[in-house]
Amino acid sequence: MPETVTDQAVLAELDRILAEVIGDDLLLDGPLTMTTSFDADLQLESIEFVALAEKLLETYGQQVDFVAWMAGMELDQIIALTVGDVVSFVVGSLAHA
Amino acid sequence: MARFLFVVPPFTGHINPTVAVAAELAQRGHDVAWTGLPGTVEPLLPAGSTFLPATSDDVAAYVAEASERPQDLRGAAAFKFLQEEVLLPLAGAMVDGVDAAVDTYGADVLVVDQQALGGAVVARRRSMPWATSATTSAELVDPLAALPLVAAAMHEARVALQVAHGIRAEVAAAGDLRLSPHLVLAYTSDLLTGPLPDVPQARFVGPSTLGRPEHDDFPWDDLDPDPDRPKVLVSLGTLNAEAGERFWSVAADACLGARWQAVFVAPTDLVPDPPENVIARTRVPQLALLQRMDAVVSHGGHNTVCETLAAGLPLVLAPIRDDQPVVADQVVRAGAGVRVKFARVKPESLSAAIDQALTDGSLRTAAERVRSSFAAAGGAPAAATHLEALARPHPAR
Repeated sequence: MPETVTDQAVLAELDRILAEVIGDDLLLDGPLTMTTSFDADLQLESIEFVALAEKLLETYGQQVDFVAWMAGMELDQIIALTVGDVVSFVVGSLAHA
Repeated sequence: MARFLFVVPPFTGHINPTVAVAAELAQRGHDVAWTGLPGTVEPLLPAGSTFLPATSDDVAAYVAEASERPQDLRGAAAFKFLQEEVLLPLAGAMVDGVDAAVDTYGADVLVVDQQALGGAVVARRRSMPWATSATTSAELVDPLAALPLVAAAMHEARVALQVAHGIRAEVAAAGDLRLSPHLVLAYTSDLLTGPLPDVPQARFVGPSTLGRPEHDDFPWDDLDPDPDRPKVLVSLGTLNAEAGERFWSVAADACLGARWQAVFVAPTDLVPDPPENVIARTRVPQLALLQRMDAVVSHGGHNTVCETLAAGLPLVLAPIRDDQPVVADQVVRAGAGVRVKFARVKPESLSAAIDQALTDGSLRTAAERVRSSFAAAGGAPAAATHLEALARPHPAR
């Protein structure tokens, strides 16, 4: 794990993690960006959210508690969730660690 | 003898399971009737059935339109739409009509589908005995456990619905319209759902649709008589066939040149040029066909899944939305199926999944285990026995 974590570094890491979680079946026109949405663009399924949470934990450690973060969301927040939101969450979690 | 009134939503998969249960009750000398949206229920009932409309035709038209609109919605957005634009308005719209139907019919017991919550409002308001008819098991396993704020918002919406119809707030908050405290009929087995410690009133009766009559215009002669050539049924159910434009194209490619023969239950315009080993039909006699199949590709609709497992067949699951991911998970956990991604699966991975379903003996063994659990659950007669117990005079319902 790098000493200081930038948005771009987390985005790159998320790109790798999502490729693992989703596998060969990723259907996305163009690269993963901060505005890519999980619901509409990636159509991430609930079991893939679970896998994403596990990979984030493996990559960044206990302080990145994705499950607890999602547990604090309302339905509209989940629908609107973007890659940028997750990047900010990871960066923020590591900054407070 | 008692009078049972089934309160159903305008969805085939939720009405079909009640038919055999009602027939069993009638055979035992009870009276049975249905209430729901006019035009959506009667065609699915046996001739001579009693139906009491719960709403005007306008509501049926609204729900039909709302059910059409979100074809491309999936995930959380589809969940929001189903709850806020379909199920809650439907529940509110049905309350007065169900209440009137209870009086007109003289119902003793309501049997309320989990997607016809207006019936639960009426039963709770009148303090009458009622059973939940859980025609899918997804609402029994707490799928929102990881999202407590979403679960709480849904609960509050159901409380508000009750309060709007005259139930005191503290009474409303203490109950759950989705789960009768008296009896929850689950048309599955706990081998498939896993244990349900939070729903002790659940009774697992297994599928009740296995004896339903089917319209049979299937070209049976087109099925390869060679028993060594595997046969695969591919179905997205009654509601989702149109949503599958991409999926059907992938499925056709996955079957191209394959050693198996496939039957697609699909709109024929979505399979314009089927490979020679694919029979595409808009409707099939599913129960009869399952007897000739070796595996099934399904969206994870509860009835198709349970009918497939009742035939002892393994599944490839491509859940689209709503309860389907939950049902698909249950099958995978039971060891009776493999999962692919509906929106993103490619022909090679779908073909590989079908091949696994046909060759992996452990999937078949697990499917046969579920079949045995269904057979032991008792089906419609068991459901009728539980409902009869509910109809007996009982203090302080």
